[in-house]
Amino acid sequence: MSEKVLIRPHGGARWAIVAVVVAYVTVVIVVPLFALVATVAGDLRRVLEEILDPGALHALMLSAVVAVIALAVNGVAGVVGALVLVRQRFWGKRALDALIDMPLAVSPVMTGLAFLLLFGRGGWLRPVLDAAKLEVMFAFPGLVVATLFVTLPFTIREVALVLDEIGTSEEDAAATLGATSWQAFRLVTLPNIRHGLELGTTLTVARALGEFGAVLVIGGAISGKTQTATTFIHTAIDERRDATAYGIALILAAAAAALLVVLQRRPRKGT
Amino acid sequence: MMLAVLALSATSCNANRGGRERKIVVAAYTTPREAFRHTILPGFRAFWKQKTGEDVIFQDSYQGSGAQARAIIEGFEADVAALSLDPDVAKLEKAKLVTRDWRTPPSQGIVSRSIVVLAVREGNPKNIRDWGDLAKPGIEVVTPNVRTSGGAMWNIAAIYGAALRAPGGDAATAQRLVADILGNVAVMDKGARESIVTFEKGVGDVAITYENEVFVAKREGRKMDYVVPRSTILIENPVAVVDANARKHGVEDVAAGFVAYLATPEAQRAYADNGLRTALASTAGDATAAQHSPGFPDVEDLFTVRDLGGWGRLQADVFAKGAAYDRATASNGKSRR
Amino acid sequence: MTTRELQTSSWIPRAARPADTSTARARNRWTLLLRGGFAGYVTVLVALPLLALVVRGLSVGPRGLWEAITAPVAADALVLSLVTSLIAAVANGLMGLAIAWVLVRWDIPGRKLLSALVDLPFAIPTLVAGVLLVALYGPQTTAGSVLSTYGLQIAFAKGGVVLALLFVTLPFVVRAVEPVLRELDHAEEEAATTLGASTWTTFRRVLLPPLLPALAAGTVQVFARSLAEFGSLAAVSGNIPHRTLTAPVYVLGEVERGEPASAAAVSVVLLAVALALQLASRSLVALVDKRRV
Repeated sequence: MSEKVLIRPHGGARWAIVAVVVAYVTVVIVVPLFALVATVAGDLRRVLEEILDPGALHALMLSAVVAVIALAVNGVAGVVGALVLVRQRFWGKRALDALIDMPLAVSPVMTGLAFLLLFGRGGWLRPVLDAAKLEVMFAFPGLVVATLFVTLPFTIREVALVLDEIGTSEEDAAATLGATSWQAFRLVTLPNIRHGLELGTTLTVARALGEFGAVLVIGGAISGKTQTATTFIHTAIDERRDATAYGIALILAAAAAALLVVLQRRPRKGT
Repeated sequence: MMLAVLALSATSCNANRGGRERKIVVAAYTTPREAFRHTILPGFRAFWKQKTGEDVIFQDSYQGSGAQARAIIEGFEADVAALSLDPDVAKLEKAKLVTRDWRTPPSQGIVSRSIVVLAVREGNPKNIRDWGDLAKPGIEVVTPNVRTSGGAMWNIAAIYGAALRAPGGDAATAQRLVADILGNVAVMDKGARESIVTFEKGVGDVAITYENEVFVAKREGRKMDYVVPRSTILIENPVAVVDANARKHGVEDVAAGFVAYLATPEAQRAYADNGLRTALASTAGDATAAQHSPGFPDVEDLFTVRDLGGWGRLQADVFAKGAAYDRATASNGKSRR
Repeated sequence: MTTRELQTSSWIPRAARPADTSTARARNRWTLLLRGGFAGYVTVLVALPLLALVVRGLSVGPRGLWEAITAPVAADALVLSLVTSLIAAVANGLMGLAIAWVLVRWDIPGRKLLSALVDLPFAIPTLVAGVLLVALYGPQTTAGSVLSTYGLQIAFAKGGVVLALLFVTLPFVVRAVEPVLRELDHAEEEAATTLGASTWTTFRRVLLPPLLPALAAGTVQVFARSLAEFGSLAAVSGNIPHRTLTAPVYVLGEVERGEPASAAAVSVVLLAVALALQLASRSLVALVDKRRV
């Protein structure tokens, strides 16, 4: 492969392209972001008061808790799933592979509807829930289930990508040296997939914090119970509490920026 | 009223409950949001703490009355239902979630009242004066969806009733007026609040809405005026304990206490401060007190659901499948698009 | 972020397998346990709810399906979704290619910042994206009122729908094209230039063809993602039926109206389109991978 050389664009045409690109990204991304910051800064005192509202803080906390659960569960499932998909061959693997991608294709509202049809009155799993005295619709477990659904693919895909590239040679070597499965996993596999795991879990958290449609349908945005940060913003706008809405939105945007830093460290190598 | 509340709290379990936390879930329609969150919920919390030493935690939800009733039936375990109209609470009765006789005299479970008005742009540029103006060609109307919103039902009842009570009015002219106005509807939101917010976003020349929605909007600095039609309906909002859920959660006393609290002068003042006409010490179905409420515009002909034959009659004539509302929309569907 | 057709790792020949020791048996047990556990998890979490959705949607029968999607508000919502998604796909397809080009091949000041900005939509909640747009173009803002004097309304109008989609789907094509662009062999390009080809010809005949599958895959992903978009549109579009109401928001309305059947019917149609697009995207991505190796 020939050397990659970054050149300085020369000639009017190239700089024109650069100008168009920068202008586009500025208009589409930067300016709205700036507008939010400016709006909040312009009304800073009121925004600060409003976001210290217990409802707002509870909503942020709820979102954080749900995101952590999603990170943990789909993090583990992601590693397991990647191992299963990359290193095992079995009947139905293709179907499983396709299923994992489904959450990316389904609109959040439809996700909410699907779970409503499972857990709502007359739903398929309703008898099971009633017997177990479990509240899923309009309750915390419902939020968790919806978030697990939408964040499923991320960790799996990123870890699988890494596993696919590194192969099993190191684990095989460890096996011949007498390591157990668990030792091989802990000492060889895990360190190798660390980067993919990091990337996957970052995307998981970002997606979990940002979930809105499914959580709205399943949770009902009940203040103090199922009001996540996103549904809180939505409710605040309905209540004409714009300052609150913008404040919480800015907090989520800041969290996103922090996550971005991790995302930017993704390796930019080719094969 | 105070004695009733005291009695209720006294008859609850007498175990030492100092400092205990009670949690109740309140399901309301969209309009009383501000009244509840700013004044009434904190007011009750203070009241209950003083009486029993217990801390009350509220979990409140606001959406269109019909949608809210449906959610409760679907499994939303609310302890108290503060809905927009009697029939929506009746749905809960039918689902055996409300089991006690909640329509206690004299107010029949009604805690707040308002009237249906026409919100218009500042200065009323289209010169809207009465229902007939909404039927004129070229006028865009905003009203919510009757399937999900209690406010929408009040709006249709107001139109229907006003037409019936106009000189020479009958079921046929009433249906025609409903059809003509519906034909001019630009957007049907799912709740009264969403509807007025859509109007604020610039959609429509006139929004049919609760008087108190306009009140709250103007208080928040939104620019609009409102017109009281010559003949309009008295809106009466009920509240009831959802017995099945309250019993399950062990908060029957708190829930009942809250419902009783809503009828106290303190709570009624909070309602009034948020643009609702008083329900205090008035008999349900009696519009006289509301007709000339101090601080609110007078209404020439303020009628009630009772004047139209009661909700049963109204449901059958207007809202049931194939009744006046369906016929009105169908006749529009044929000529539209 | 691309999805990849996953290859199994090298198959270990029988002779090389560890003897049938307890370690090997334990390993096999673990293998099956992990496989079963994971498959079970995915089935219950993904397959089951989607099955419930499809069953409910199809339960209305073909006539019911047709009625559900041709209801006036539904039909307009579907058309709006399709049209705006197409616009987003074309716009972000072209611009995505340009952005990837600038990021990979040219050394400009602020390259890292540009790359970070491009990734921002992946990190930010879609609802917040919508709120950003309202903060910028809402009725009570300077930008909003200036634009409306030119007859251009963004918030609560079709312009807002398109802008929101552009924001949310910006990264897809960029990230799909980038790796391919990065690995392009410069030799061919240099050869073409030495032979006297113009920049445009070189681009068109040497550089573009290997990029096309990735470009197509990314564009399809933009289209699919736009169709499904909800959060940002819930904030900025105003959700006005026949004007700015898109299909997913329509589905929400049906659910809240207590019409799960009608909602499920429209969902099934959207799901079918999404699946078709997924298939297209996966085969295009496979094409990319084949060419890369």
